[in-house]
Amino acid sequence: MSLKSLTKDWEPMSYGFLDASAKREIRRKTLKAIAVPGCQMPYASREVPMARGWGTGGLQISCTLINLQTTVKVIDQGADDSVNAASIRRFLSRVSGAPTTMDTLKADLIQSRHRIPEEKLREDQVLVLQVPNPEPLRPVQPNMSIARQMHADADYGRMWLQLYEQIVRSGRVMQGASYPSLVHGRFVMTPSPIPRWDVSKMHMAKHLTILSAGREKRLHAVPPYTRVEPLVFDDVPYQVEEHQDLTCARSGAKGFFMNEIPQDDGSSTYEVSDSEFGVKTIRKGDGEPVEIGATWYHAGEMTQ
Amino acid sequence: MAYVATRGGERAIEQSQRLFREEMGTITAARVAEIRRAMPYLIDRVMGEASLYDEDLAALALAQTGGELYEAVLLLRSWRTTQPRLAVAEPVTQDGLFTHRRISAAFKDIPGGQVLGPTLDYAHRILATEVLSDQDYRPEPVEPAARPSPAQQPSVAAWQAENDLLTAAEPDKTAGNDIPDITREPLLFPSKRAHTLQSLARAETGGVLALGYAAQRGYGQAHPTVNELRLAEGEVMVKHPRGTTFSAGRVKISQAEVVNKKGTQLELGFAATLGWNEVKVIAAATLDLNSEGAPKGSATEEEFFLYHTEGVESSGFCIHFKLPHYVTFQSSLDAMRDAKKKKAAKIPEPAE
Amino acid sequence: MGAHPTPSDFEARTNATYDALMWALSRPGLPRDLPSAGQSGIIETLIDRECAVYCEDPAMAEIAARTGAAMAPPEDADHLFLSQPPARLAGLRQGSDMYPEGGATLVIPTRFGSGRHLGLTGPGVGGQVLCRLPDIPHSFWADRARVMRYPMGFEIFLIDGAQVIGIPRTTVVEVL
Repeated sequence: MSLKSLTKDWEPMSYGFLDASAKREIRRKTLKAIAVPGCQMPYASREVPMARGWGTGGLQISCTLINLQTTVKVIDQGADDSVNAASIRRFLSRVSGAPTTMDTLKADLIQSRHRIPEEKLREDQVLVLQVPNPEPLRPVQPNMSIARQMHADADYGRMWLQLYEQIVRSGRVMQGASYPSLVHGRFVMTPSPIPRWDVSKMHMAKHLTILSAGREKRLHAVPPYTRVEPLVFDDVPYQVEEHQDLTCARSGAKGFFMNEIPQDDGSSTYEVSDSEFGVKTIRKGDGEPVEIGATWYHAGEMTQ
Repeated sequence: MAYVATRGGERAIEQSQRLFREEMGTITAARVAEIRRAMPYLIDRVMGEASLYDEDLAALALAQTGGELYEAVLLLRSWRTTQPRLAVAEPVTQDGLFTHRRISAAFKDIPGGQVLGPTLDYAHRILATEVLSDQDYRPEPVEPAARPSPAQQPSVAAWQAENDLLTAAEPDKTAGNDIPDITREPLLFPSKRAHTLQSLARAETGGVLALGYAAQRGYGQAHPTVNELRLAEGEVMVKHPRGTTFSAGRVKISQAEVVNKKGTQLELGFAATLGWNEVKVIAAATLDLNSEGAPKGSATEEEFFLYHTEGVESSGFCIHFKLPHYVTFQSSLDAMRDAKKKKAAKIPEPAE
Repeated sequence: MGAHPTPSDFEARTNATYDALMWALSRPGLPRDLPSAGQSGIIETLIDRECAVYCEDPAMAEIAARTGAAMAPPEDADHLFLSQPPARLAGLRQGSDMYPEGGATLVIPTRFGSGRHLGLTGPGVGGQVLCRLPDIPHSFWADRARVMRYPMGFEIFLIDGAQVIGIPRTTVVEVL
């Protein structure tokens, strides 16, 4: 044996940036995450050329999955053109040569921060969600070791109590995004800071979702056709954002999750948050041959 | 086509980077060499936090980031990710260190003597402003001691253990590839000893200082006495696949032992890092000293200080708040407005 | 922007193998295509010095050893490359309630496509998936159900040539 046999030929950068051992660890952990839906799997989480908190967890999953044929879409707050989405998209393309797209229907791999696209995802698509804080119990238990024990014991009493207190105090559950949800009837997970509007899209979805927190070094997954149930009381139904009746001022799309744009006169206008969906709606309105996929919501109502 | 008009993202980020880099101008090998020569302590700090010992790369990282320390460390850590692990070096022992400086606050004199070595501890901190009016500052030449101090010395804790003042830690027999490696495994709690020491070794200096200082000021139970502070060089001994052991070079190392009286024995806190960084190892050893039995959620609890002194993670998370959060904000606004509406309409509360 | 790195054969192979394994486990009971037949492709995709491996086939053991993995008896192994369904499932690693990921992964060669139907339900299965695995004794599925207590458990990859079927611990297998 020689020193050379221990190493590899020099290359300026590994394909997909991560080296083989980093990828193998992520593969092993992701398989277990799929096998135990919603359970947070600790992983080493190598440093990547982006700051922690900027999508490094999602990036490591994408870098592991990507190949020359993977068509990649990256969104941040629903927008493909947001600066950080543009930066991640450029990085993924630079380290892999994979083609990129903004069209949800054309993507094989979608890396997203804070949104699930409005068009339904298919059985062959992977959604990678960036996760700032993987621990749904953190508001009631900031200590990660204790929280882990609580998951082991399925001890979610304090979580329920917190929701109950909110209802008593404010007449409703005050959780905005990151709505805690029970996966396959066992683990409470955070769906990442997606709006409540998007959580229902995960329930019995056809696609695979992998959620990864690079800074906190945890990943979890929701396989296709898996129950994802927001924590609610029988007599207080789950409430998504009241965007059913809003219309996008730019595209005319109605009944989708919107960005509110404050106006000088004190009022607000709205634009659809899924930017490429908005673009496609405009182009279709202009008579261009654009394919718009089936959407999870119809006229503001969830269909399943 | 209003959406399309807003798609300036790619161009905007490109130009923002150009603006940042323009200020530093051309980076040359000479500039990198000068940074390395002129700022060894900065280089050491960066190498320690990056857990990557290469003075040239550290100087390059500083040149490339204009001295933005968090960026420099991140750059080195990301580069480190791409490097294969060729071998595991033999353990460096305290009494094998080539010692430049070794002092103890616990005793007036120690076996081997108090060796001050290079330090500004007793310097008067006066700016040499004359340099700015073109008078070069030339350091006075060092006069060698008549009797050089021994290069290798045992630790003070070893002497204390011999004298039944403290219980020496059981030597850890784990070797080579079996030593837990924080860069390849997640940190879980209770933390493995190797993970704790590795995490402290690459912790962010300011963060360790803040929490260590809190412990020293009284938020910790143990009051540290610096048993030994040492700046040294360690030989990196690796095994060639053919079986021979050879030195791959020396690395600068700093280490601190701090002790506290607990009943009839001393308890020991320890930290070491790559490069010479005294503040960091004293503060880190203080945290180590205080961690046993620390209450959950206190600043001296292992989980608390290891998570919160990780500089790449903490700085990254801090600056991530610059990213747009309007979707989550919208979601919160919706809940707030609805709650307000409910309050106004006095909708009865749900049955218990 | 410079040219992107190109994938080596190793990278392309392991990437495709993982893709098959990931989807196999995500959609239990549905066969996926591996880039090559046999267990060695799975070894190079998943196994390295961080793993403890048990191999029944000495040839596989040799391949696994070259990755730097530690060889371990079945009860200590995190990955088991077997030649047939194990007689005893009770001793296998199942992780703990705290760390369910400590459960083992079994790779077993077998034949797909004849014999009695098995009905699979659980996450990854829309409704019910039928599959036929003639060489796996029915008692195996009963044992599996008996020894596992979710979230503890183990995962199974069944391979027939260059095809793989995944059975995660969440899958309920019923002999029809």
